[in-house]
Amino acid sequence: MPAHKIIERLKDQFGVAIQRADLPGNGRLFVFVDSAALKSICRFVFRDLDARYVTSIGSDDRPYSDSFLVAHHFAFDRTGLLCSLLTHLTGNPPKVDSISKEVPAANWAEREFRDLLGIEPVGHPYPKRLVLPDGWPEGKHPLRKDVAWNYVPEGYDEDREFAFDEPPEGCMVIPFGPFHPTLDEPAHFRLYVEGEMVRGCEYRGFMAHRGIEKLGESVLTYNEIPMAAERICGICGCVHNVAYAQAVEQAAAIKPPPRAEYIRTIMLELERLHSHLLWVGLACHIVGFDTLFMLSFRIREPLMWMAEKISGNRKTYALCLIGGVRWDFTAELKAELQQVLLKVEQEWRAVVEAVAGDRNLQKRTLGIGVTSPELVKNVGLIGPVARAAGVDIDCRRDHPYAAYDRVEFKVITGTGGDVWSRLLVRAQEVFESIRIIRQCLEKMPEGPLQLQLPDELPIGRMGMSSVEAPRGEAHHFVITGENNRPRRWRVRAPTYQNLQGIPAMIKDQQLADMTISLGSIDPCFSCTDRMEIVDIRSGKTTVYTQEELREMARRKVL
Amino acid sequence: MSGKAIIEILGGLANVVIVLIVAPFFEGVLRKLTARIQSRQGPPLWQPYYDLLKLLGKEDIESGESPPMQRFAVYLSFAAIMTVACLVPFGSHAPANSIGDVLVLIYLLTLCGIATMLAGLAAGSTYSLIGMNREMMSLITLEPLLVVAMVIGAIHVHSFRLDQVLAGSVYAAAGFPWSGLIMLGVMLVSFQAFVQRVPFDIAEAETEIMEGPLMEYSGPKLALFKYVQMAKLVIYSALFVALFIPWGHTGLYPLDVLIHLAKCLVMVLGVTWVAATHARYRMDQAIRFYALLLGISVIALGMAVYGY
Repeated sequence: MPAHKIIERLKDQFGVAIQRADLPGNGRLFVFVDSAALKSICRFVFRDLDARYVTSIGSDDRPYSDSFLVAHHFAFDRTGLLCSLLTHLTGNPPKVDSISKEVPAANWAEREFRDLLGIEPVGHPYPKRLVLPDGWPEGKHPLRKDVAWNYVPEGYDEDREFAFDEPPEGCMVIPFGPFHPTLDEPAHFRLYVEGEMVRGCEYRGFMAHRGIEKLGESVLTYNEIPMAAERICGICGCVHNVAYAQAVEQAAAIKPPPRAEYIRTIMLELERLHSHLLWVGLACHIVGFDTLFMLSFRIREPLMWMAEKISGNRKTYALCLIGGVRWDFTAELKAELQQVLLKVEQEWRAVVEAVAGDRNLQKRTLGIGVTSPELVKNVGLIGPVARAAGVDIDCRRDHPYAAYDRVEFKVITGTGGDVWSRLLVRAQEVFESIRIIRQCLEKMPEGPLQLQLPDELPIGRMGMSSVEAPRGEAHHFVITGENNRPRRWRVRAPTYQNLQGIPAMIKDQQLADMTISLGSIDPCFSCTDRMEIVDIRSGKTTVYTQEELREMARRKVL
Repeated sequence: MSGKAIIEILGGLANVVIVLIVAPFFEGVLRKLTARIQSRQGPPLWQPYYDLLKLLGKEDIESGESPPMQRFAVYLSFAAIMTVACLVPFGSHAPANSIGDVLVLIYLLTLCGIATMLAGLAAGSTYSLIGMNREMMSLITLEPLLVVAMVIGAIHVHSFRLDQVLAGSVYAAAGFPWSGLIMLGVMLVSFQAFVQRVPFDIAEAETEIMEGPLMEYSGPKLALFKYVQMAKLVIYSALFVALFIPWGHTGLYPLDVLIHLAKCLVMVLGVTWVAATHARYRMDQAIRFYALLLGISVIALGMAVYGY
């Protein structure tokens, strides 16, 4: 359905509640609506127009419009349209009708703006804290503009333990995480187990929330943020780097030169390659199949070396600036990359053929962690998890960015919706990525890498960008601002949505299947907040507490 | 003490020494071969010896719910497996005949499993309790297979004596009886489960329940448990060889020991290959598999009774 048709239907249905609609072109639509009608408009868009829920964003707009801002983002994947429904909230404290009952996928995002901005989602079905720790005092909201980035409120009790829900009757509680061999990052699942069957769970995460959005809005500048954005994820960092740059470019109506777009595409696909190979390895390790774990890591290694040769780093490529990229491909690099791709393709084909008929592996993955297309729609699942359930969505094709509109590739889908089909989808996507990189290397035009930018980017413009990460769609939203930095920058990583599907995926299956079910969404939490230091000369081991580390970081003594 | 008793004791001790020396080496072979299959360099063959020495020299931290029971569990486990070593033939016939018969051997093997369960209970964490639970389930369904194999042998040779049963007794009646061949097949496919390696390392499953019963062990006690696991690999191989592959004895004791160990090594290589090419089964899948095998072996037992 084209954008003007959507606006028409919204106006027919809701009349004056639709205050303003902006169509900046390039598949974006911003609709300002009356806050009283927001809930029914969202239901209409989600259910009747069958849009996919992306995320919800709160923003402190008081310095500019004397109000708070709430935006619900939806995607019309068939027409390549990303749609933002915005509303201004003038009350104090700001309140907005919760849409989580109509759109279950909004559950976390609404709790997040409740925690961080103090915008109350009225009628939320589960208004428990999500991001802020339990010891954080009520009424203090770190993302508000009048709060400094390093603000720690009085009475903050760092050591307060989580308050958990009561487990259902007849169930025993099994703690899973924050430290577990198959959980590489801190997150806690409280599993309710009856015998060997999991009946439900409660999730507590955000244990190492780093406040990167706040830094971007208050300390960093436009061109410093890509480096911070890259560090959001240790595996698909380049995705956030590109997504942020694209969101700003979109807001400022800048188009990077074609060669830069091709380079972005190549690096994104290189990242997908190494990420998928890593995932197959880890998934096999989880079910105790270490041989394939080792093999995929061996096959993956040349890709890491290649990335280091291209960018100077195995993992953090430091690729984008606003309006371009920071480095180029030489002819030698292109030739060598072709060689590496050839080798990876051959070796991976052999592995995929061997695995395709492996009954033993199927026993642990077939029919495990099943998602139905309804669950995908309701919880907003994305990436290989959605595609394995037969939901044909892929931002690279649906909302083309970089050079994806100039290359050919297939979107791989599965049918089972279980761990096995996720494995097959990812295994096949490796070949598509190789195809994309080859086409890019062939078609890449000569030309500049970086656009000449105006001294100041326009202020108060909005941009959004969806990039297909290896784990699913990463979505960035930017409102441009003063002082050479964005006013609001919101990141929604793919795991944010996919994790919300976990309780439904592990319900009523065996405890032994929990780890592989969780592993199958390729989760990506955040990173460590504590470390151990060994003095080599004396052999003395010191363990620093979080508090000591923070002190040291501020004094820069390490 | 009669001369015969002294020979029995010396023979048993010789077995213990052989097991203690060879077990880490077999583990080393297993690791090296696994590494080669996985296109890795792999540790040196002697690494398990170093590992054990290092663990033995470490600080002994008792962190579980009930340290006395943990101590008891590990000593019980080690003692039981070493007693089993005295009873199993290595090269010559079973040395310590007058200590006990086949039934004692089976009890001692069961005791090993029970020691692991005690360890899980003593650790007292949720994960070790799950591991204990799984160990118990597999003990109940798996151990009867070995019992049936030995009883079939005993039926064929009309004796429960160790030296008679543990000498290819399953084939004793009329050339190659069907019951013996069926049990050979059953034991061959379940062998991986007896030595508790992938895909049947369910009770310890590192990536699911973090080594289950062993999770609270460290230092010397962990070394003993690791030693028991390595010894199990050798002893179950020796048992299998004694029951099902009895041929090729020369009568010369040192040479026979080497031949026997070579056969055991072939078993270890098989275990390695299976472990490197499989994913871990879930408990319910494993139990179903054991139950099927148990059904087949009961049929074989019936056939043995009627002389087939």
